[in-house]
Amino acid sequence: MLRRTRTLLSVSFAHMLEYRAELFLWMLASVMPFIMMGLWVSASSDESANYALGPLEFARYFIAMFIVRQLTMIWVIWDFEWHVVEGRLSPYLLQPMDPVWRFIAGHVAERGARGPFVLVLLVLFFVLYPDAWWVPALRDVGLCVLAVVLAFLLRFMMQYTMAMGCFWVERASGMEAMTFALYMFLSGMVAPLEIFPPSVREIAMWTPFPYLVYFPSTLLVDSAGAAAGGLDIARGFAVLTGWLVVFTLLNRWLWRMGLKHYSAMGA
Amino acid sequence: MTRYLRTLRRFWSASFSAEMEYRANFVVATVVSVLNLVGGVFTIWLFFTGRDDLGGWSMTQALLVMGIFTLLSGVSDALLVPNLSRIVHFVQQGTLDYVLLKPIDSQYYLSTRNLSPWGLPNILFGLGVISYCVVKLDLPPSAFGIAALAVALAMAVVYSLWFMLASITIWFVKVYNVTHVLQSFMEAGKYPMSAFPHAYRVVLTFVIPVAFMTTVPAQLILGKAGGDWFAIAAMLAVGLFIVSRLWWRFALRFYTSASS
Amino acid sequence: MIEADNLSKSYRVADKQPGLMGTLRHFFRRKHKTVEAVKSVSFNIEPGEVVGFLGPNGAGKTTALKMLTGLIHPTDGSVSVAGHRPFARKAAFLKQITLVMGQKQQLLWDLPASESLRINAAIYDIDDTEAKRRIDTLAEMLSLDEELTKPVRKLSLGERMKCELLAALLHNPKVLFLDEPTLGLDVNAQATVRQFLRDYNKEHEATVLLTSHYMADITALCERVMLIHKGSLIYDGSLDGILNQFAPYREVKVELAEPITNGQMDTYGEVQSIDGRVARLIVQRDALTRTVDRLLAERDVCDMTVTDPPIEEVIGRVFTDGVAD
Repeated sequence: MLRRTRTLLSVSFAHMLEYRAELFLWMLASVMPFIMMGLWVSASSDESANYALGPLEFARYFIAMFIVRQLTMIWVIWDFEWHVVEGRLSPYLLQPMDPVWRFIAGHVAERGARGPFVLVLLVLFFVLYPDAWWVPALRDVGLCVLAVVLAFLLRFMMQYTMAMGCFWVERASGMEAMTFALYMFLSGMVAPLEIFPPSVREIAMWTPFPYLVYFPSTLLVDSAGAAAGGLDIARGFAVLTGWLVVFTLLNRWLWRMGLKHYSAMGA
Repeated sequence: MTRYLRTLRRFWSASFSAEMEYRANFVVATVVSVLNLVGGVFTIWLFFTGRDDLGGWSMTQALLVMGIFTLLSGVSDALLVPNLSRIVHFVQQGTLDYVLLKPIDSQYYLSTRNLSPWGLPNILFGLGVISYCVVKLDLPPSAFGIAALAVALAMAVVYSLWFMLASITIWFVKVYNVTHVLQSFMEAGKYPMSAFPHAYRVVLTFVIPVAFMTTVPAQLILGKAGGDWFAIAAMLAVGLFIVSRLWWRFALRFYTSASS
Repeated sequence: MIEADNLSKSYRVADKQPGLMGTLRHFFRRKHKTVEAVKSVSFNIEPGEVVGFLGPNGAGKTTALKMLTGLIHPTDGSVSVAGHRPFARKAAFLKQITLVMGQKQQLLWDLPASESLRINAAIYDIDDTEAKRRIDTLAEMLSLDEELTKPVRKLSLGERMKCELLAALLHNPKVLFLDEPTLGLDVNAQATVRQFLRDYNKEHEATVLLTSHYMADITALCERVMLIHKGSLIYDGSLDGILNQFAPYREVKVELAEPITNGQMDTYGEVQSIDGRVARLIVQRDALTRTVDRLLAERDVCDMTVTDPPIEEVIGRVFTDGVAD
């Protein structure tokens, strides 16, 4: 088991390094947190501005969000779709290992290949904007790591569940396009949820989206402050885990149904 | 010239019928557009919960910027994405050979080959938002004419940059993401430039001229910017377009044609 | 029609070692080496000629074709095709040539071939009635019919190739560059394609330069062949001439009245096989008449045949043994 994991990861890692130019561009393509940071820092800097957060808190939230996003980037639906369309899935099905592990290994290894780029960008950011620098409490780092791992799994499972649509329709990535719009606005990518009107925030907190971005990010910045601002951390973890369980079960069920359908069609 | 027009008609009718094979995309495109528009307006509104301007722009003025952005995304989805994102496949599979051997301008071929009807929802929503803002702000009817011209210039800027980035694949075959970089920077074009800190504005004006894609057209429509800005925008659009042609010719010198 | 003078092309390619260490080393420091794909090749092809371009994989055939069509710029030397310098890719030049690649397709995958043909008609500025006339003629020559209105992805490989040929020849090109046009096709489809190319060549007096792995394509179509090996042109002449130059030997099959014992025939030539009363020998050409005389004089010969060795075998030998070196 350990050997298999190690081999799978090292091969995936080598594969990812082949795509380093890609990875670098992908990094550059994730400027969204910095765009929103600029807007919110600028908007809240004014004396007259009246937001729940100040410029520094905004800056820290968005840089934390940048890190969280880098760690939870998922593309399994396109990968899976490609494998199905190109007929590459069938050979995997003959192997004594569920193909999901290949996809997970690919994603995990990619974090390793992406790591150096992220670090360089972070150093650059804090050199340019030293005021935003903070040392998170050990407890916050621990909570954030846990939340990031769960968020990674949840986002992976959400996409992988939608990817199961490939067994029935040709372009399942359309599903992802639709949920991405929700993800974009409800996950806290455009603004931390403290800024949302309370009713919208309450509804959003029951959906899976804030747990993918807002929740881990805000834990890293200052979990105590967030708790004081009305974030129920325990409930957050409960909802996050709940969604993860729901999507995992749904996924396994669809996987089994899909395989039946797929093999009936002559794979 | 008539040959190019006839070719264009054939290109588009063929790609239209090909796209019709995937009709479910229309639902997807419409849902995505609606969600993006609602989310976009919601985001702008969030800024106004703590103050009553966004970089000196009123809510409706800021919406005009969002409307221009939506229109540009629609046109990009219809024309740029289906063409320029495929250049990499032409290079990878070596079928660029066939394009180069056609007695027709290869940049023209690669840029117009496909038309995706799925950009339509965004185009319609964009036009709707722009019209709403023009009416709401009591602008003269001539504002529509200015808008058409300004958006056309902005489109030329977007196209030229996008095409130049996409042609980098001639050197590095494996860069699928290169156009995403531009797209993600263009995200800043949803908001008026003056809402950004100074350093951002410098980058978004001189390095990646996002300012000229939405903010400058909006300023022209609103009458915040005069004829001199029109001239600058026109010069930039024409200049970048010429550069994109020269750049493509330069890139082709390095085309080695996959697999010998 | 086609003139190449000292045509050369060299590439710089990245040199990467396998394995994780190799990957990492490659990541930090890329090593390059220069590969000479084509080394000063010169030839001259007259209008209407059908010339076969032979060589093992990686010999430089495709690179040469790409220089002739103007897709890549020669590192050295000069080319002229139909009076044009290919790399300028002027419309007047492009309208006279075509390139067909067996492993790459130009037809639109999701649509019927007829759509691609309409597009090509517009690009090559052929008016609709003329295009229709040409499509009808070509379709008849290729025995294509309803295949043209089915989505390309639903066609068999052979049908698709025939459609590709139609699309490539719609503008009546004068010079055809064909790179493995029969790759992967079954025997019937290969024969149709060959017959079609022969007819097209006759009717339009078109010049054809063709590469193929299938000797049958070459023997059926080409009177003249060029052998390219490791980037150099090692032979240019008639198909039969290859035998004289590279196979200065004949195969002699003798049948004697009594069973042959081992060693008995060694003095006559290189023994290929002995089977009962039949022996197969390889005999150098200059020794042929002498050997035959001796055989008839010294042995009790019932039957004897002298044949050329199969051309595939000869060419195969040239490429594996590197006779040219």
